[in-house]
Amino acid sequence: MSKGKFKNSKFVEKYSIFIVLLAMFILCAVMNENFLSVNNLTNVARQLSVGTIIAYGEMLLVIAGLIDLSVGSVLALSGVLSIACYQSTGSLVLALVLAVVIGVLCNLVNAVLVTHFDVPAFIATLAMQTMARGAALLYTKGQNLLQLKDFTIFGQGSVGPIPMPIIFMVVITIITWYIMNHTRYGRSLYAIGGNEGAAIASGINVKKNKYITYIINGVFAGIAGVLFMSRVNAGLPNGAVGYEMEGLTATIVGGTSFSGGVGTTMGTLAGAFIIGFLNNIMNLTGVDSYVQQIVKGAIIAFAVVLDIRSKNKKTRKVILVADDTKKEEAK
Amino acid sequence: MKKKVISVLLCAAMVATMAIGCSKSDSGSSDDKKDSGDKKDSYKVAYIARAQSDSFAAWLANELKAEFENYDDMTLEVFDGEANDEKENTMIENAISSGFDGIIIQANNGEAQLPYIQQVVDAGIPCITTNPRVECEGTGSIDADPYEQAKVNCDLAIDQIPENAKVVVLLGPAGNFHSTERRNAWEKEFFEKRPDVEILAEDIANWNKDEAMALMEDWVQAYGDIDAVVSMNDNMAAGAIEVVKDNDKFKDMLAYGVDGTAEACLLIKEGKMTSTGLQSAIDLAKMNAEAIHSVLTGEKKITDINDNVPAPLITSDNVDEYIQMYKDNGQIKE
Repeated sequence: MSKGKFKNSKFVEKYSIFIVLLAMFILCAVMNENFLSVNNLTNVARQLSVGTIIAYGEMLLVIAGLIDLSVGSVLALSGVLSIACYQSTGSLVLALVLAVVIGVLCNLVNAVLVTHFDVPAFIATLAMQTMARGAALLYTKGQNLLQLKDFTIFGQGSVGPIPMPIIFMVVITIITWYIMNHTRYGRSLYAIGGNEGAAIASGINVKKNKYITYIINGVFAGIAGVLFMSRVNAGLPNGAVGYEMEGLTATIVGGTSFSGGVGTTMGTLAGAFIIGFLNNIMNLTGVDSYVQQIVKGAIIAFAVVLDIRSKNKKTRKVILVADDTKKEEAK
Repeated sequence: MKKKVISVLLCAAMVATMAIGCSKSDSGSSDDKKDSGDKKDSYKVAYIARAQSDSFAAWLANELKAEFENYDDMTLEVFDGEANDEKENTMIENAISSGFDGIIIQANNGEAQLPYIQQVVDAGIPCITTNPRVECEGTGSIDADPYEQAKVNCDLAIDQIPENAKVVVLLGPAGNFHSTERRNAWEKEFFEKRPDVEILAEDIANWNKDEAMALMEDWVQAYGDIDAVVSMNDNMAAGAIEVVKDNDKFKDMLAYGVDGTAEACLLIKEGKMTSTGLQSAIDLAKMNAEAIHSVLTGEKKITDINDNVPAPLITSDNVDEYIQMYKDNGQIKE
């Protein structure tokens, strides 16, 4: 293979997701005149915010070779407890803090199971999924919490013309991007996911980093819980079922490799927007809901095939490639 | 060393959390058991709930528990079918072998539970199917009629929805009996009689408020004007209303639901929702308890039990009495 061709394929591989996003954006704009309206684009961003925040948590975990299947339930638990806290104390700050604490506590349990008891992340978080959902239902006796009053500010308020959920999403995007690109922790995640044994051998504290990853995921889940409940103006103990899959879908469509070691923040954001635009344009043009499901499934399969094809030249030495990317970015 | 300490602490926290969780749920079920064990000539009744995670099913289970407290000679144990046919069927089999005197079943899927309901009948245990009714010889049934619940809304809407109105329709899960029946009622009792009304969009929001919100946000962009929201339940209607509640352009939008949830009552009170057909878990619980009691004490035969709870229409005219009902059971706070 010539060097030029290799470079070319690297370019496509690196930016393919953004090319898809751009193509999709143009296609949607052509298909429906309402798509480009400021209101509609704001709607899409607002609808995406919770899923995207969750997707960042999943991205960190998947890059490190982990996963979180509990995030939908943890989101619901932290959301309803946060509302209960607001209703009894009247403090929005306390409510937000409590949601984050609950998210972190649940994820600490995940982390303990995964790192200290070697329970596969898939199983450990599946257990937490059931426990957290059960706790949310137990606390609310299965009923929706109502009369949220000012709690709705997180999901429905806005600063100037920009809705609060979008502000949360942007801030968390920047934080995640910074973590992944400018911290030792971020870089070590690629190494752990690429080859855990090699990462340990090279002196990376794998256990500590796994803990940090779950804790960050917990913080995101807590915030997402507050945004979700606040947006729907109700504490839904059975809300956000299956949101882990929404987060994972955005992550995977955005180019994060399920086998670990590969993935970018901007890719995940692009993945979330691809799914969001897709949902939006199908609703705007009145596509039948059964057909919508088929199309969504097909797009996910297509995205992953693309991902595997563009990355199949990468062997198990992902860690080296990931490091190369870092060096290139540093330049 | 530090790590070990941390891990021990975390484990302790985890165990403590579990213990708190378990002890809470234990206290609930041990109460039930104590009651049933202590009294010798008391009847043990099992209630197999469709899914405790479904807010209506959970409400019904809560009301049944409360209703059974009023009986000295009858106790209730609740089992959760977790919206899963396999689990629900197992629960029914377990209830038969545990020697309950009566079994009330809220089927997840009538067809799937039918052979197991037949087993209850074959074992000679009085069996009531409720919400939904399952047709099976030898059983009794107490239900709400989903067609009727939607029809009471249609009767109001037929004069209320303006000429050439544009409406959107929100549906429950595909193939769900109650969603399908309610939609049938809207078709026969409203859309067929009002051919001038145009359905702009119709989609599944799975009974969920958040899914209905996302759909409504997109529909508002796509169609601009929406005169009415026709929803198969209140949660979804509330989601649609949430999207346009502060938008002056939609202040005259009509919205119809079914269930009569606490949230719907508050929205009707605020003038944001038009009407809903009540499916009262309180009434269902009361009638189920009365029915099974009368059968166990020999007053009635199980096959004589065949009733529907009424489906009263809730509008701004009578919403206060229902808000009071929810205040009494704690779902609405002052």
